[in-house]
Amino acid sequence: MTQNVSPPRDSTSKVPPAGEQPAWRAVLFRADVRTLSLLGVLAVLILIGGLTKPDQFLDTRNLQLVLTQASVIGVVTVGMTFVIISGGIDLSVGAIVALASVWATTVATQEYGFAGILFTAVLVGLGCGLVNGVLIAYGGMVPFIATLAMLASARGLALQITDGRTQIVTVDSVLDLGERDAYVLGVPPLVLVFAAVTVVGWLVLNRTTFGRRSVAVGGNAEAARLAGIDVRRQRLYLYLLSGLCCGIAAFLLIVLSGSGQNTNGNLYELDAIAAAIIGGTLLTGGRGTIVGSVLGVLIFTTITNIFALNNLQTDVQQIAKGAIIVAAVLVQRRTASTT
Amino acid sequence: MPEPTFTSRRGLLFGAAAVSAGALVTGCTSNEPSGGDEPAANNQPAADDKPGKQVTIGFAGPQADHGWLNAINDNAKKRAEKYSDVTLEITEGSNDTAQQIGQIETLINKKVDVLVILPADGKALTQVGLKAMRAGIPVVNLDRVFNTPQAYRCWVGGDNYGMGLNAGHYIGEKLKDKPDAKVIELAGLDNLELTKQRTQGFDDALKNYPNIRKVARQAAEFTVESGQAKMAQLLQAQSQFDALWNHDDDQGVGALRAIEQAGRDDFLMVGGAGALSAFEAIKADNGVLKATVLYPPTMAASAIDLARALGQGKGIGGLAEFEIPSSVTCYSAVVDKDNVDQYMPTGFR
Amino acid sequence: MAPEPPLLSMSGITKSFPGVRALDGVDLDVQAGEVHCLLGQNGAGKSTLIKVLAGAHQPDTGTIRWRGDDVTLRSPIAAMRLGIATIYQELDLVEHLSVAENVHLGHEPTAAGFVVRGRAARASTADLLKRLGHPEIDPGRLVGDLSAAHQQIVSMARALSHDVRLIVMDEPSAALDPDEVDNLFRIVGDLTAAGVAVVYISHRLEEIRRIGDRVTVLKDGRAVARGLPAKSTPTSEVVSLMTGRNVEYVFPPRPDTSPAKDAAPVLTVENLSRRGEFAPLDLQVRPGEIVGLAGLVGSGRSEILETVYGARKPDTGRVLVDGKPLRPGSVRAAVRAGLGLAPEERKAQALLMLESVTRNVSVSSMSRFARAGWIDRGAELGAARAAVRELSLRPDNPDVPVRTLSGGNQQKAVLARWLLRGCRVLLLDEPTRGVDVGARAELYAVVRRLADEGLAVLLVSSEVPEVLGLADRVLVLREGSVVHTAPARELDEHRVLDLVMEGSPAS
Repeated sequence: MTQNVSPPRDSTSKVPPAGEQPAWRAVLFRADVRTLSLLGVLAVLILIGGLTKPDQFLDTRNLQLVLTQASVIGVVTVGMTFVIISGGIDLSVGAIVALASVWATTVATQEYGFAGILFTAVLVGLGCGLVNGVLIAYGGMVPFIATLAMLASARGLALQITDGRTQIVTVDSVLDLGERDAYVLGVPPLVLVFAAVTVVGWLVLNRTTFGRRSVAVGGNAEAARLAGIDVRRQRLYLYLLSGLCCGIAAFLLIVLSGSGQNTNGNLYELDAIAAAIIGGTLLTGGRGTIVGSVLGVLIFTTITNIFALNNLQTDVQQIAKGAIIVAAVLVQRRTASTT
Repeated sequence: MPEPTFTSRRGLLFGAAAVSAGALVTGCTSNEPSGGDEPAANNQPAADDKPGKQVTIGFAGPQADHGWLNAINDNAKKRAEKYSDVTLEITEGSNDTAQQIGQIETLINKKVDVLVILPADGKALTQVGLKAMRAGIPVVNLDRVFNTPQAYRCWVGGDNYGMGLNAGHYIGEKLKDKPDAKVIELAGLDNLELTKQRTQGFDDALKNYPNIRKVARQAAEFTVESGQAKMAQLLQAQSQFDALWNHDDDQGVGALRAIEQAGRDDFLMVGGAGALSAFEAIKADNGVLKATVLYPPTMAASAIDLARALGQGKGIGGLAEFEIPSSVTCYSAVVDKDNVDQYMPTGFR
Repeated sequence: MAPEPPLLSMSGITKSFPGVRALDGVDLDVQAGEVHCLLGQNGAGKSTLIKVLAGAHQPDTGTIRWRGDDVTLRSPIAAMRLGIATIYQELDLVEHLSVAENVHLGHEPTAAGFVVRGRAARASTADLLKRLGHPEIDPGRLVGDLSAAHQQIVSMARALSHDVRLIVMDEPSAALDPDEVDNLFRIVGDLTAAGVAVVYISHRLEEIRRIGDRVTVLKDGRAVARGLPAKSTPTSEVVSLMTGRNVEYVFPPRPDTSPAKDAAPVLTVENLSRRGEFAPLDLQVRPGEIVGLAGLVGSGRSEILETVYGARKPDTGRVLVDGKPLRPGSVRAAVRAGLGLAPEERKAQALLMLESVTRNVSVSSMSRFARAGWIDRGAELGAARAAVRELSLRPDNPDVPVRTLSGGNQQKAVLARWLLRGCRVLLLDEPTRGVDVGARAELYAVVRRLADEGLAVLLVSSEVPEVLGLADRVLVLREGSVVHTAPARELDEHRVLDLVMEGSPAS
């Protein structure tokens, strides 16, 4: 029984009014609680890796390995983050990566060498993004359905092109890019591309009208429309951007695996969505960060790496991955409700 | 493209049949054997290359989204083309159980003489196998086995356990004089029973070599991408080891890429399945890949042979039985530099 | 002799949110069978208080007594079990369910514990609707297909479907026409006669005077006056308690010289119509002029504004700015030509609630601060700050999230957006909805000042005094047609109400 405990009337003085927070606290909050908590998770993972496998984990080669493995899905995730921020979803990213990677590695394309492979991958990615964008922005289709249809057809087309065969890359300049000799000051070229896409993605999201419009469309599409933003054109551009990222990722995958295969990019859509959500992007749109998404990708890749180094098997890996997604989203919800 | 010539192990089954049965039919104008005074066991009607009764074979397989499955389709088609008395009704491959059931039911309604089925999922398609059998259409079940033997007249398939066993023995023999040898395994999709069987066979074989220890195992997904990713991690985890068995040559393309990227060449690698690229690498002998264990796609050609024999009511030459066997398990031969030329035409892309 | 304990007695309720103390020791007593009015400006703590009462918020400190016993309202269900029902301002109905399903949501009549007895639910819903004076609402219809007023009735039916002893009504009259308000008051009367207590929240003082028994005034999270007699307390006293001012509405003076008749109109609307919404309409707005559209809910006012703005495509007619026709049905063309809309549903149609004031203000003028797509954030912030200062938006820090602003300041943020854009025609749809009394006067002053600076303003409001007080010229609408046009000073509230009601079927 709460027996008439009258509240102390002077308690107001103990709560500082809004706006009088210490400056450092404001800065900390501006830096986003989520980003900090993600860095914390990553730090814990690094600690675990370092404790369980000190020799193999805390090693330059391993750092190069983790970052390289994160590059392909990382580039896809940057594009996906934009799409989700705008209130959409792109389920076709994995299939687009597959299609772009096999189209870029057919015998005919390979005759055009490095440039042929690169341009084909990027163009196929853009082309698929264009179709997605037109269907969604001007055809009025729900993103989930339009990109699901693209998933099916792009995978089908990739299969048709390859006939289920692995297309080995024979262009040396492409292959060389994935090898140790090509590292720039110890940084693999793939990682450089990933870093560049991240930086450009961050700038575009935070410093350009394009980024602002994406956030506005995701936060409140009707308000954005009534504020004079061309919502449909913005949506078209966003799926084009996602397609472009898939094209770049496909090229990276070709370099990494030295081949094109219609099974490439398997379940990338789920990995990219998961990384973005863990990174603090709202699945309903209107909020998200590139830094968070990239941290999400790095967390996943680091987990995989630690598991592999410790020789844990698939079943354990999958269970842990699921648990981490749930935990991260719960943390996100908690921080979201307190801010 | 694998040429369905008789250079493979399948020759053991059918090569002799062709010779003996060919001799038997000499002078005969009908499909029926002449009979006569030879021992019964030697003059049973056996299928041979000579045209016989017209047989329509329905073939339903999964979607050819993997080099090996693609080779299965090719082997079946090429084999059927070889026989003037065989008409092959081949369905669009599908991984969707419901769709594959529909396709097979269509073939049943068309009243094909024999069905060859490589189910996308053996358990899920058992019912439709039973249905065909009840409709009087004998089923040759290829590779992925139905739940009950009632659903097929004959099963022909690969030997996953045998693959692991032979890979283990090959590696074991190579390393048997090396004290404290370390072996790692790059497995296929862990969700599949066959991956477990391959690993079991491999482990059982290694038990014969007390000096060898399996120090790591990671599962890839039969794709180049996953092969590269998992192999890169394995190489980082194991700074030194002596041998690697990779379950699948397709993912092996990625694994070899990772090995190349890591600049490692201090171990021997054995592959699985029998891809052309693997055969070529073995023949060139300039990398870590020294051998591969077959999971022969030529089994599809054999399935056509068996289906034709069924349709014509014959047995197999070289065997005493009047009927074809109820089950044929293909041998998982080890292909290394010494015998690679022989297998080269069966390698798939 | 101890009097009967009050039905509800809240004392010393405090509730803090990060950075805000929403309730600071509020006391509230409600007697059975009374209409207890809760007055206060937006941000005074009314919403928080009723959420505490509904079990949606847990108070930090303080006690709640229900019929003399201490209770803890851990959840909305706990409150409902006691007999406390709340009808929120933003209706919380499920659009895709039927009326009956909404009414019985969460306590469906069932057979064997889980089979929903649809027929029984519809029958009891029909009874409730009849009691509420709306037997014409079909319990089987989807709630999404109903008008706002009918949705409110459904919401009330839902509250009454429980064994209710206290009903909280948060601005129930906001979306209602006079007829419907009368009906609402009749229902309130029936309820109190049956001993049910009503906690009634409204900005409309005249309503409170009509039906209220006692008034509690909240200001800055405290109850500044408790249990005032609703009928006899002078308006000036109530308003001054709420605001510290003595006037209810303060309209800025109209300029002495009415906008030059010969000035070329900025906005010209010719023969504009949409089937089923409004009949062909002609109007002109000159620079410096405020034209008001007065009419009942459903008279096509908002539809007209949205069609002028290009958000709806007209069936006939066209819109011209400076004599140049706009591409029909294109918001972008309208914005480019200098139109700006402050829509009725601010949160849903205008604001990016997750974003800062700056970004909300700059969203329509981003390209002004951008070179090749790159935003000069310094220039953007500077311009936003200037616009915010000009409209004396509070807090004047444009970095704060727009969702933390009061209704009036959110409206100012929308106006600042168009100010920054340099718009020439401002379309205002219910500009003071959800804006408290004090802030209204300020908004009126802002709108008049913008007009004085040369803006053309087209205003829509369901509050006749607002249209009459603010506009220079008034168009009276009835069922989608203009029935009268006159300078505002030649009209009064009664005349307008006569015009809009005249010949309209009794509903």
